Amino acid sequence: MSDYDVIVIGAGNAGLTAAATLQRDGTRTLLVERHNVPGGCGTSFRRGRFEFEVALHQLSGIGREGQPFSLRNLLDRLGVADRLELVEEHELYRTVVPGELDLTLPADWDGAVAAIEAAFPGNRDRLERFFQLCREVAMWRAVAPRAERDPGALDQLRSSGGALLRHGLRPSRDVLDEHFDDQRVKYVLSSYWGYLGQPPSTLPFMDLAILLFAYVEFKPFHIRGGSQMLSSALLDSFLEAGGAARFNATAERILTTGGEVSGIRLAGGEELTADAVVANVSPVITYGRMLDPDVVPPAALDDLRSRRLGPSGFVLYLGLDATPDELGLDVSTTLIGTSLNEDELAAATRSLDSVKAAVVTCYDVEPIGFSPTGASHVSLMTLQYASAWDGVAADGYARAKFAYAEKLLDVMEVVAPPVREVIEEVDVATPLTMSHYLGHPGGSFYGFDQDATDGWLFRDGESPALPGLYHASTWTGMCGFQPTLEAGARVARRMLARRPAVTAGGE
Amino acid sequence: MSERAITELFAGAGEVEALIERRAAEPADLDADVALTVARYHPRRIELTVAEAIDETATAKTFRLRRPDGAELPPFLAGQYINLFVTVDGVATSRPMAISSSPARRDAYDVTVRRVPGGRVSNHLIDELAPGDRLSSTGPMGTFHHNPLFHGDEVVFLAGGSGVAPAMSMVREIRDGGGARHLHLIYGSQHADDVIFADELAAIAAADGRIRVDHVIGGLIDAATIADLAGPLADRMVYVCGPQAMYPYALDQLERLGHRRRRVRFEANGAPARPQEQPRWPAGIDPDAEVTVSVAGGPSFRSPRNRPLLDALEDHGVQPEVACRSGECSLCRVRIVSGEVFSADEARLRRSDAAFGWVHCCVAYPLTDVELAV
Repeated sequence: MSDYDVIVIGAGNAGLTAAATLQRDGTRTLLVERHNVPGGCGTSFRRGRFEFEVALHQLSGIGREGQPFSLRNLLDRLGVADRLELVEEHELYRTVVPGELDLTLPADWDGAVAAIEAAFPGNRDRLERFFQLCREVAMWRAVAPRAERDPGALDQLRSSGGALLRHGLRPSRDVLDEHFDDQRVKYVLSSYWGYLGQPPSTLPFMDLAILLFAYVEFKPFHIRGGSQMLSSALLDSFLEAGGAARFNATAERILTTGGEVSGIRLAGGEELTADAVVANVSPVITYGRMLDPDVVPPAALDDLRSRRLGPSGFVLYLGLDATPDELGLDVSTTLIGTSLNEDELAAATRSLDSVKAAVVTCYDVEPIGFSPTGASHVSLMTLQYASAWDGVAADGYARAKFAYAEKLLDVMEVVAPPVREVIEEVDVATPLTMSHYLGHPGGSFYGFDQDATDGWLFRDGESPALPGLYHASTWTGMCGFQPTLEAGARVARRMLARRPAVTAGGE
Repeated sequence: MSERAITELFAGAGEVEALIERRAAEPADLDADVALTVARYHPRRIELTVAEAIDETATAKTFRLRRPDGAELPPFLAGQYINLFVTVDGVATSRPMAISSSPARRDAYDVTVRRVPGGRVSNHLIDELAPGDRLSSTGPMGTFHHNPLFHGDEVVFLAGGSGVAPAMSMVREIRDGGGARHLHLIYGSQHADDVIFADELAAIAAADGRIRVDHVIGGLIDAATIADLAGPLADRMVYVCGPQAMYPYALDQLERLGHRRRRVRFEANGAPARPQEQPRWPAGIDPDAEVTVSVAGGPSFRSPRNRPLLDALEDHGVQPEVACRSGECSLCRVRIVSGEVFSADEARLRRSDAAFGWVHCCVAYPLTDVELAV
């Protein structure tokens, strides 16, 4: 008998929900994590009087008690919802292009229509039509994957899901162009593109639709105590169900016997057997470094060859000796662009020449408890591909890092003029920092570049590529907390469904 | 062409599939080697050879450490430290050491050690470590360095004893091209012959208008001395590094001068030797009494309450990953399975740590019998 039924490598979001789902269903599961705490991106750190949220900007999909398809339901099922204090935000974002627009969108369909109409009159009908299309596409997008295995659902999709089928793969920009003339309105509506890393010209419309739907319909949330609270609660759900966890343990190899997964080997040489492995790891690493090259399926390598690394980010974790009010930040999330041309903003993420877009997340408008009274914790981020650093020598790294950070602060000053005067703590993370902590190639935190080619319609990242090997991570689905949390649970449920009937043992 | 019925229902699916095929034929960018990037900037371990042992004073030595193959070391910021792993009397332990050499040179790291009376590791290093010896360290780390985003170009450094080591690195950095930064070092020593780097500091200060060095011999660096030597501090960033007792005193003196707390930065400085003197230590708990410490799946042993869990674990052959040994870096985080511990003020714990029972074992003290998951 194997040491474990399943070994989950990596205690990131998807690894945690996979492990908790499996163990709570009675599967003997080992969770292996190289860091000393669970969470992956879902963590925090301390500097001086401040704690800093590393990655969670706005948690999507939570919704109201009992709201179907909500992340809250998943957290409930895993027994962690009541261990968390969720803090609701009432705005999606404030979006700013200096000299062009400065608009705050409430997290509410009608409110958003009213806000945009007030700023750019004459668009009400178009907005209603656009949001209606977003809702329809998003709802069909949510149920469509079922059609894969269910002929009835496929027929239904064919007969009634026309909005999704016609518009889902179109670039968001085409759909926006069809609805609106004013580029400012289009810019406002697609300002979330940075959360997926693709500008409207390459972002499939169904992704924009589901993103808006997940935030407007289910509201954006923060977690009091940060995303580490969620990661730790998920770990406890797993442990309390009898799961075993090993921290400070690096899985180096996935072992196979006769072409089937048979276990893992840890750094240091210890081997553990299992009937299946869930890799909460980049497939680039899984296939490139963890498996015997002879057993890697050629199809998996073909698939990787047609992928492109997604962006990482350049982040300033700021501890500011001023209140959000004093800073000029009246909403949690402020998105800044230096022009209305999103392609130009996106292009800037591939070099260190300039900062053209930034996300300013203030965690003290709706406080999560990370700052002392009178102070604010702000995460200031711009997307950035690691390749921007290719030409920087190790000797010049610190200089380049601080020089780029200055440019990012320049952009933040547009909405928070006093920021430089009130810095009490600041730590800078570059794509190299992300790469160090996450072990991801290119420091990518979204996985592969999420243009249309990355979608679930064309890739099958979650079926076993070789017997017993499963993937669950941001690399095999949509990025973000909600999608990765859901991916882990989904992969685990599929594994459970495949499980041969178990004869009752003597336990 | 997709084999999946659902995919074919989508308008535009054919174009996307064609794009995927084209991409598969192009050079990919997926071979980025994470391990190489990590090894270049943040290696978990560096193997080092003692190249030279330099007598600085009667009680202090500088060890020049190189890679055995002479290759370049990772870059660091002046003020950062490496944690040196050593075995003393059969116990594997470590000490964080500020790098005193200039970040402009990457062929070696200098670490400067002074004997601490009764200090196992400092005396071991000074008495035993010799050229040719091998040891390992963490990569450079720590946040005690000049940060141009908010520290400003005018800075003051209050150093006590061997706390001058990170200041020396900063001084050398400025000499080697530190731009517009001006550093005023106020350096306290008990006796004139205790001053480390005396000649080099004097030479640099004489030659470089950006560096000023004042010595305070045999007295405390108090508010009057600071005001006298440095003039109005205005909002200059003040760095403080020295013995533990210096910190509350320096802070008090700086606050008397009206200096803002957020313009003072302290170097991490080890676990408090007398945790029972911190106000949160529970009344009536004898710090010298022993309790039982058990490691899940590991040893179980008796240890006095006032011995940090990290040291107690190391005494018994358990070595959590560790770097700062001062409550900050979080690498030595362990989870308390049962029992109660006292986390010293130095512990930079997160809200979630408190909620879920994680502590930094370097500055955590067992109040009751405890079980740990390491």
